[in-house]
Amino acid sequence: MIVGNIKPIEEIASSLSEFKKVMILGCGSCVSVCLSGGEKAADRLAGELSSSELFKEGAPEFQVGAVLRQCERDLVETYLERPPDIDAILSLACGAGVQTLVKIFDDIPVIPALNTTFLGALDEPGTWEEKCQGCGNCILFLTGGICPVTRCAKRLLNGPCGGSRDGKCEINRDVECAWQLIIDRLTKMDRLEDYEKIIPPKDWSSDRGYGPRRLSYPE
Amino acid sequence: MRQKSPYFRVNEKCNGCLACVENCPANALSYEDRGERRILRHNMSLCARCGNCWRICPQEAVEFEHLLHGGWNDVATMKLVHCEVCGEPLYTVNFEETLSHKLKHDMDNLCPRHRKELSISAWKRLKTGANKVKEAAA
Repeated sequence: MIVGNIKPIEEIASSLSEFKKVMILGCGSCVSVCLSGGEKAADRLAGELSSSELFKEGAPEFQVGAVLRQCERDLVETYLERPPDIDAILSLACGAGVQTLVKIFDDIPVIPALNTTFLGALDEPGTWEEKCQGCGNCILFLTGGICPVTRCAKRLLNGPCGGSRDGKCEINRDVECAWQLIIDRLTKMDRLEDYEKIIPPKDWSSDRGYGPRRLSYPE
Repeated sequence: MRQKSPYFRVNEKCNGCLACVENCPANALSYEDRGERRILRHNMSLCARCGNCWRICPQEAVEFEHLLHGGWNDVATMKLVHCEVCGEPLYTVNFEETLSHKLKHDMDNLCPRHRKELSISAWKRLKTGANKVKEAAA
């Protein structure tokens, strides 16, 4: 899922300083599940901002709402009722959700309250870890189901590098070496011969470097 | 009158501590203290099915499997139209009416196989008719 992290309250307050009436809009999907952008987070943020002393001329008036998925334009256009007289929207969605609102409400600022952080999975309650970079050309079948593009700091397709020590990465001893994980997993599956296969250079044309990607199904 | 949820279920271990309500990120759980009773409520349309309630419940009272493997609900029942030859179900009477209206003619209620057979026989009839015209002309 898309994992987001709420911005520091000072930064949010600073981005709202010139507005009088703001809708705080939660998103009911990924960011709800990762506890950063759901309706409850929106309620909490409204309470914190209202009672904060970060606004020199008083906090704006807040209206709190949430939609199921901010990233679906037709859904938002049809079902989100825009309160009258608001002069900005503070969105707790990911960047895709924020930009969907921008497209719909083109006459007022839409301000992000989250930093969209990564595509991750819940490793343990309250902890999400990045697992995928959406490179558009999945090679998990070659690497024992563990992604070196995401989880190796050097994105090595044939690792590990010399910085791997005791199963940890040289960039940070709290980070597991992806290639150690791959070797351990292949060993467990009795498929270590897969490790001997040299993975050819990856086709990066489907990666982000070629500009924004688009998926469109034929009608 | 509110019905019991078929999806969000708690077992007899629930002691009404409200940990699930407090920690639901989607505001899909709430409660009401009415008279002598505390009523726990769940709103399926708000629920993100994140499982936070299930993880956090100190009593292990949330039976999350019902949110993962819910049953099917009938949402509408309509009368069917069948193939006039073999009886295969085709579409609903309502759909037939809509389509007939748009096409401005009545539908032949035939399945693809019998529709094909009908068009072949019609083509044969046409061919025979054309041959007769040709013969007459000759």
